[in-house]
Amino acid sequence: MLVWADDTLRARPWVVAQGVTKQRLAQLLMLLIVFGLLYGAVMGSFGGVFGGRFLQVVYSAAKVPLLLIATFALSLPSFFVVNTLFGLRDDWSRVVRALVATQAGLTIILASLAPFTVLWYASCNNYRAAILFNTAMFGIASIAAQHLLNRFYAPLIARNRRHRIMRQGWLVIYAFVGIQMGWVLRPFIGSPNSPTQFFRDEAWGNAYVKLVQIVVGLFGG
Amino acid sequence: MVKWFRQLDSILRGDATRLPSLSEGRIEIPAGGLSTVIVLLAVFYGLCMGSFNLLQGLEDRAHDTCMQIVASAVKLPLLFFLTLAVTLPSLYVFNALVGSRLSILSVLRLLVAAIGVILAVLASLGPIVVFFALSTPNYPFMILLNVAMCTVSGVLGLAFLLRTMHRLVLVQEALDGPEPAAPPAEAAPPQAPSGPSGALDQVGAFTSRKALRVFRIWTLVFALVGAQMSWVLRPFVGNPNMPFTWFRARESNFFLAVLRSLGQMFGL
Repeated sequence: MLVWADDTLRARPWVVAQGVTKQRLAQLLMLLIVFGLLYGAVMGSFGGVFGGRFLQVVYSAAKVPLLLIATFALSLPSFFVVNTLFGLRDDWSRVVRALVATQAGLTIILASLAPFTVLWYASCNNYRAAILFNTAMFGIASIAAQHLLNRFYAPLIARNRRHRIMRQGWLVIYAFVGIQMGWVLRPFIGSPNSPTQFFRDEAWGNAYVKLVQIVVGLFGG
Repeated sequence: MVKWFRQLDSILRGDATRLPSLSEGRIEIPAGGLSTVIVLLAVFYGLCMGSFNLLQGLEDRAHDTCMQIVASAVKLPLLFFLTLAVTLPSLYVFNALVGSRLSILSVLRLLVAAIGVILAVLASLGPIVVFFALSTPNYPFMILLNVAMCTVSGVLGLAFLLRTMHRLVLVQEALDGPEPAAPPAEAAPPQAPSGPSGALDQVGAFTSRKALRVFRIWTLVFALVGAQMSWVLRPFVGNPNMPFTWFRARESNFFLAVLRSLGQMFGL
């Protein structure tokens, strides 16, 4: 399994181009889930791991793969239709593999950053700082994963230049859905002052509207 | 049923509109079967649209929410077919005036294919809309999201229409012999494919270019009519603070309403 992870990070040819698609997808999905669980568990350990807080660790662990898989599932149909319209249907299985591999890569990168998170949690007990730190980790992982996506997409773009536009389109759809998904699936870290729960009662809301309200509030609007 | 979806798929892949199949300016797209698929996809997107409020609706509003889902599912197919009905006659007349060879049946098939493309894209965006509809309590945001989704699919569908039209022009030019294309700068204003000039110009290349121009203007008309038709048929999403109605009173227009929603979304 670690060999698969290493191969994914190095964008070896088997990941997107060789072998039976179903088998490879299963491998990549397994990577995504295992490493996602790993980082999620670390992320949820802010309030401690014993007693009632253990449940939060389990919830957070489940949420990271859930976040990625649900976002992926919601974004895929429209990406399929648009790819077909642009005449790229023949490459579809490779495209899906590249996208899943990128997400697996994202969780691997995240998991590699988990020790930093542990150190941060051990040294600082401010909840807001913990949120910011995790945001930074996700930011770093996303930037690195984008680099990975570029590498997976390079052979596709070499075949047909339209894949470049598709790649950008994918990032737009995925980010748009993913941000709201992250908002709905809160809390990921679990405030030590509030009880452990899977969803927040007030979780329903809109990340974008909230964001604009915060920005407007900052400028005294 | 599966056969009809295959036909839509072949349109999406571009197999149905390759140059050989367009020879002689005819389009081999079965409009009847495709229309059924279009209705199904439209009903699906209508369901997605109407599902706003489903999770956060209060108990006493459950009936209204269900009615809204049914109403949206019924109204969305209507929206497309009514828009088509309003714009088709003028398109055909102007098309014939500039001397295009397309028969009314071919025009209809072409448009049904374009609407098929629009709805395929729209329906594929449906899951995203449901997700936002279920997780967002913000009414203006939902409206703007739906407007954005419809705009994206509309642009893709109408781009498909223009590309196909362009291919038809190429086919016609090939049939009419190696005549050079019309000069790009013409004296006639673009929005006036008037009767006399169309009747005078029987040269194949020239007239088919004009037909292309008619279609270009028509896409704009189709978008405007579609937008306003959606305003006439509103509500699609269903305001949580208002009781359920099939239609609302006549007031304002689509574009003003979009601007107002933008303001409301951020509480300005």
